[in-house]
Amino acid sequence: MAHVDLQTGEDVTVWRILEDGALPDEAGEWLVPLGRLKDEAGSLLEEKGVRIGALIETDTPHSDLAGIGNYASFAAIRFPGFGDGRGFSLAVRLRKDYGFNGDIRAIGHVIPDQAQFLLRAGFNTSEVPEERREAFVRAVNRYKHVYQSDTQGGISVLRQRHDQAGARRVS
Amino acid sequence: MYAYDTFDHAMVNARVEEFRDQVARRLSGELTEEEFRPLRLMNGLYLQLHAYMLRVAVPYGTLNSRQMRRLAHIARKYDKGYGHFTTRQNIQYNWPKLVDAPDILADLAEVEMHAIQTSGNCIRNVTTDQFAGAAHDEVADPRATAEIIRQWSTFHPEFSFLPRKFKIAITGAPKDRAAVKWHDIGLVLKKNETGELGVEVLVGGGMGRTPVIAKTIANFVPESEMLSYLEAILRVYNEQGRRDNKYKARIKILVEDTGTEEFKRLVEEEYEAIRAGFIDVPAEEVARIRQFFAPPPLPVLADEDAGLDALAAADFRFRAWVKNNTFAHKVPGHVSVTISLKPHGGIPGDATDAQMDLVADIAEEYSQDEVRVSHEQNLILPHVAKRDLVAIWQKLDAAGLGAANVGLLTDIIACPGLDYCSLANARSIPIAQAITNRFDDLKRLEDIGQLKIKISGCINSCGHHHAGHIGILGVDRKGEENYQLLLGGSGEEDASKAAILGPGFDEHGIVDAVEKVVTAYMGERKEGETFLAAYRRLGPDVFKEAVYGAR
Repeated sequence: MAHVDLQTGEDVTVWRILEDGALPDEAGEWLVPLGRLKDEAGSLLEEKGVRIGALIETDTPHSDLAGIGNYASFAAIRFPGFGDGRGFSLAVRLRKDYGFNGDIRAIGHVIPDQAQFLLRAGFNTSEVPEERREAFVRAVNRYKHVYQSDTQGGISVLRQRHDQAGARRVS
Repeated sequence: MYAYDTFDHAMVNARVEEFRDQVARRLSGELTEEEFRPLRLMNGLYLQLHAYMLRVAVPYGTLNSRQMRRLAHIARKYDKGYGHFTTRQNIQYNWPKLVDAPDILADLAEVEMHAIQTSGNCIRNVTTDQFAGAAHDEVADPRATAEIIRQWSTFHPEFSFLPRKFKIAITGAPKDRAAVKWHDIGLVLKKNETGELGVEVLVGGGMGRTPVIAKTIANFVPESEMLSYLEAILRVYNEQGRRDNKYKARIKILVEDTGTEEFKRLVEEEYEAIRAGFIDVPAEEVARIRQFFAPPPLPVLADEDAGLDALAAADFRFRAWVKNNTFAHKVPGHVSVTISLKPHGGIPGDATDAQMDLVADIAEEYSQDEVRVSHEQNLILPHVAKRDLVAIWQKLDAAGLGAANVGLLTDIIACPGLDYCSLANARSIPIAQAITNRFDDLKRLEDIGQLKIKISGCINSCGHHHAGHIGILGVDRKGEENYQLLLGGSGEEDASKAAILGPGFDEHGIVDAVEKVVTAYMGERKEGETFLAAYRRLGPDVFKEAVYGAR
């Protein structure tokens, strides 16, 4: 599995997951389940070279994300299956309601055909099977325009039509 | 009607290329069938009993002659020479090949059509009143609003993997011809006291195994903030709708479980947070879209026409067609014509390529180049001068499209059923055919009057049996097809759920039972009382006795 930047397809640092109460044994980026992170917010102080992020499951109520910026500098949303659309709303909420500016990564089962949706919902990196890296890059660049404005600066064509002289068809 | 600009064209063209890529990746094994399935569904491609089925979107049921000719071309080139118009105002093809699907989509894109989001757990094609823009009773043309929703809901990054499918219907008239109360979201266009346009929002309607009539959660949302309101509903549903059981995943279950008041509170909380944001459409864009739906320039004509009167006096069938198949228009001297796709003994909603071409020709010559598809599975010529009715009827009748039965007992809605559908438990089409064979006398049908029969071949209720004045539901009983009889449903503004009358029947018994119900109604009705009104007055007992004998 590669971890890639959704916009460029280039490699980014792989985040490792601290399951079952384990502690980080070396420097690097570590994901801690959101619940534990909140419980142990004080004790998981980032050691030298250790950076902690939140591991968020798709069934997390969005209100549990409140204050996340205080104890996580990045976040991963784990998709149990690519059809679980709750992950998209969680990312939207992180950006829109909880002012989260850190890296948001999709991990678990997402497919290349969702790449642009992920990016537009607020994710900027994703876990990608190596053989699908190219398909992810193709997908993220497929649509040049969008029908909705989004939290990531995407401007809907319904607005663009009135900002761009000459973009409209002369009938 | 709406015309694509360069943005819209770019969007559907990119979609065609994307699907071509997805099909290639599936064929090479790069995509698993589990992964490919929702992607092909969101391009309208189902795997059915015998073959793939392609469902093409007809946004809010409106198309022009060029588009209709293209639908005919697709039926000829890629199918067996016919298509099936559906209760969702779309058209389905029953015999396309997977490898042809990208080419079909490319052919559609050339004429500003597509199959985007006609299936899958996403926001589906928005449906509306088939007489929109022509109806004498409408507050505003709902199609401009529907087009705004179409664009907002297309490739929505957050709402393309919902718990389940999501259907929105909108009406611009107090008389509900779009069955808004039976949809996940129903919208009713209204003007407030200052003349501002807005929508009443109903939520949580639906059929399937748990029929529910939608409830109003907002009496008036200004059109300028409508998308924010819809976005709030969809966000709450996407987050909280059940994903553990597909039979409990529709929004109707969430609304029932949460309670309408609490659901409304959740939606309004989100709406308040986002209404001042970037979601809604700028006023100049609303105006741009609305001008595509400006009323056509129709001359005010005399309401009387000598030629029409002469033929009506001489030919009973024509007289009945004018009476049953035309609907009052805003402009004097004009009507909307419903072309019945319910010929005697035929398959409800089917049309051949030649019939589609003919309808396209007639629409071009006589109806401002416009055709509509209705949720009753008929085609509509929205803007017709009365003086042209004789010529139109003669052309339609010669092509087997002259049935004068709109709104009558044989204007039956039926799903494809076990003849095509992999979900069905029983056949629907032969039941519809048997009923039309039993009631084959137009004078008798006219005497019976307004009566909507709706037939579904399984509990998913694509044939809308819950909303039938007489509903028929095919079920599987120990390996045999069995048909339940339901009475008293309505899909209009007085929406009601049909109730099961008693034990089911075999395929012959159900036709007898329908006849007994009709006979009982004829015996009990008051002057001018429709079947539905009589049923509501009398209750089920009279009909139980007629069908099952004295208890």
